[in-house]
Amino acid sequence: MTLNWTPEVIVAFIIAIIGFILTITTYIKPKTKKITSLNYIRLAIFSFSIFIFLDGLSILYVSKFLSIFSGFILIPLTLSLVIGITYITKESYYSHGFITVVGLSVLLIYLGFQPNAVDIQIQGGYIRLPWMGLFNVVGMILTAISEIYMLYWGIKTLRNAPFLIKKEAYLFFFGIFIASVVSMVFYVLYLIDPFYILLSNIALLIGLLTVTLSVMIEPKLLYILPFTVYRIVVKDREGYPLFDHDWSKSEISENIFTGFINAIQLMSEEIMNIGGLLDIQLKDGILILHESENITVGLITSKSSKLLRSSVANFTRDFENKFEKSLKEGNKDMREYESAQELIEKHFSNFPSRIITHKKKPLLLTEVLLKLPLSLETALRTIFKDEKEYNFIKSEIFRTPKSTAAGFISLYKELKKELDDKEITHEQS
Amino acid sequence: MSTLNLALSLTLSHPSVQSVIEIAKEVINNNNVLDTELLYSLAKRRLKFPRKGLLSIIQLLINKKVLVEGSKYTKDEVLNNKYRFNLYRFLTSNLGAHFSTIRKHIITDSSGNLGSSGQLIWHLEMLIKFNYVRKIKVKNYTIFLPYEIGDEIGLLHFVLRDEIYLKIIQLLLSNEKLKRSEVHKLVNEKRETIYYRINNLIEFKIIKLSRDNNSLSLNSRKREDIISIITAFSQNKSQIKKLHFNNK
Repeated sequence: MTLNWTPEVIVAFIIAIIGFILTITTYIKPKTKKITSLNYIRLAIFSFSIFIFLDGLSILYVSKFLSIFSGFILIPLTLSLVIGITYITKESYYSHGFITVVGLSVLLIYLGFQPNAVDIQIQGGYIRLPWMGLFNVVGMILTAISEIYMLYWGIKTLRNAPFLIKKEAYLFFFGIFIASVVSMVFYVLYLIDPFYILLSNIALLIGLLTVTLSVMIEPKLLYILPFTVYRIVVKDREGYPLFDHDWSKSEISENIFTGFINAIQLMSEEIMNIGGLLDIQLKDGILILHESENITVGLITSKSSKLLRSSVANFTRDFENKFEKSLKEGNKDMREYESAQELIEKHFSNFPSRIITHKKKPLLLTEVLLKLPLSLETALRTIFKDEKEYNFIKSEIFRTPKSTAAGFISLYKELKKELDDKEITHEQS
Repeated sequence: MSTLNLALSLTLSHPSVQSVIEIAKEVINNNNVLDTELLYSLAKRRLKFPRKGLLSIIQLLINKKVLVEGSKYTKDEVLNNKYRFNLYRFLTSNLGAHFSTIRKHIITDSSGNLGSSGQLIWHLEMLIKFNYVRKIKVKNYTIFLPYEIGDEIGLLHFVLRDEIYLKIIQLLLSNEKLKRSEVHKLVNEKRETIYYRINNLIEFKIIKLSRDNNSLSLNSRKREDIISIITAFSQNKSQIKKLHFNNK
């Protein structure tokens, strides 16, 4: 049997290989793998690779059956993409897109079994198997839905990408734009001239390569939309803070957060056993609490999930093991537990940090690290005996115009004299 | 330096973290505005760390609150401080309040002490610096006034807060002229105390002395202002206290 090797077949196989690599990458690269939405997106990428592979194979073997079968693969492809992206944004499977795709899928299957769904033609000097009639129309609509959803995902990811991975998010969006918009434009042009199917496939190839590359560089891109992790706090059984880490600013106030942990610690016997997990629904998020022998770990997040709960449980276990000696000795010095940062890397590495909101956001150094001129420092030390008060004034000085400190010293002397004079007058009178 | 190793071993005492802190200190001490972009580009140029590693360090510094979001104060931000806001509110609702009164009301509350005089003076200086208040000196008193209140009105408020001044002025409101020598009897205070205050009121141009130096009358130009301030004070008697002057 003679194989029908055409440029379209070669490009289709290359795209299929890239698609398989992307599927494997999205599975291997992230340390955390059990995110429902990502599983669907992975399934969509896998289906796409099968679809394009079967499409190439149908041309290679000039097989109508394979061509129709590749058309049927559009169903799991579009469905899983629609479900995955809907789940990312709404944490639900159902959407208008889902119902539309289900309806079109039934129609596509019916049309696929009709005669003349696929034809064998010579287009641009090569044997091709174009889909015909309504089968082609429904197939194109499903493809368009997939590409619109992909574009939506790209835009949402780019818009929500935190500052630290913005660069990679642009690359990711660029790939999605090429694979969806550019590829779709060429696909429409293919209706006029069959040559454009090649350009459409090449655009898909470049787009997919770029998306793969960006995800390989920064797997956190896949975790931007599912949920926002705000903060983790570790406290000992007496309620002393041992470690904390912020991913982003939370609307939940420090008092509520600490209050909850303390209250739970007090009631832990009744509510949760040691080793138990508890989800508390707050107005602005979820507090996941985990209690172990020596510590209580609290994580604030926008949504609760199995994945996050198991991450908290594993983090707690490793924290207990790593600092067993310090915890047993009752050490409360937070510096002792600073190296728990590596456990954050281990268990929460996929969640992007949003702590730097903007590259131009002005920053200040903490007052304890700032140095004042010696004469000013001496003068302030004589006025402010309380260390906390002194540090507060110091931090204020760095935020004020240069002459404020000097103005303060002279006003202080003036008013102090006034007070002293008045005290003398008062005593005399 | 490998990004991975850096991420795993990052603590504040790590030499790489300390180098970035030093650069941040330098920027702030030179009175420049520090932001992530500037810190990143300076550190990148000088320390030649890889992008991800450097960003991890900056992220750690923000996470550990070594670097905090904030900038030099603008006028609007100055009142974000609760203490300053309350102080400013006190000064606007107690026009003509002098330092001792402010100190008494702001520092001491029912729960005890709310900080030192030093802190109060710092906040007063901040309000002065950002043109929320200004100070005027009246005899041995420093009066803090909202920026938009004129000296004359501020002075009148200050004077009318003193019960002896108030009594003298009320007498002059109901009597067009009064003999200087009779005032102390009418107010039932020591002669020298009253003479001292009358001299001050003349000096403040609130009252006038006749040509023969015997009788006193109210400055007609200030009459209306005085009446409206007294009316306002009569609704809140706590505004009026006795002042202690250093007569010397």
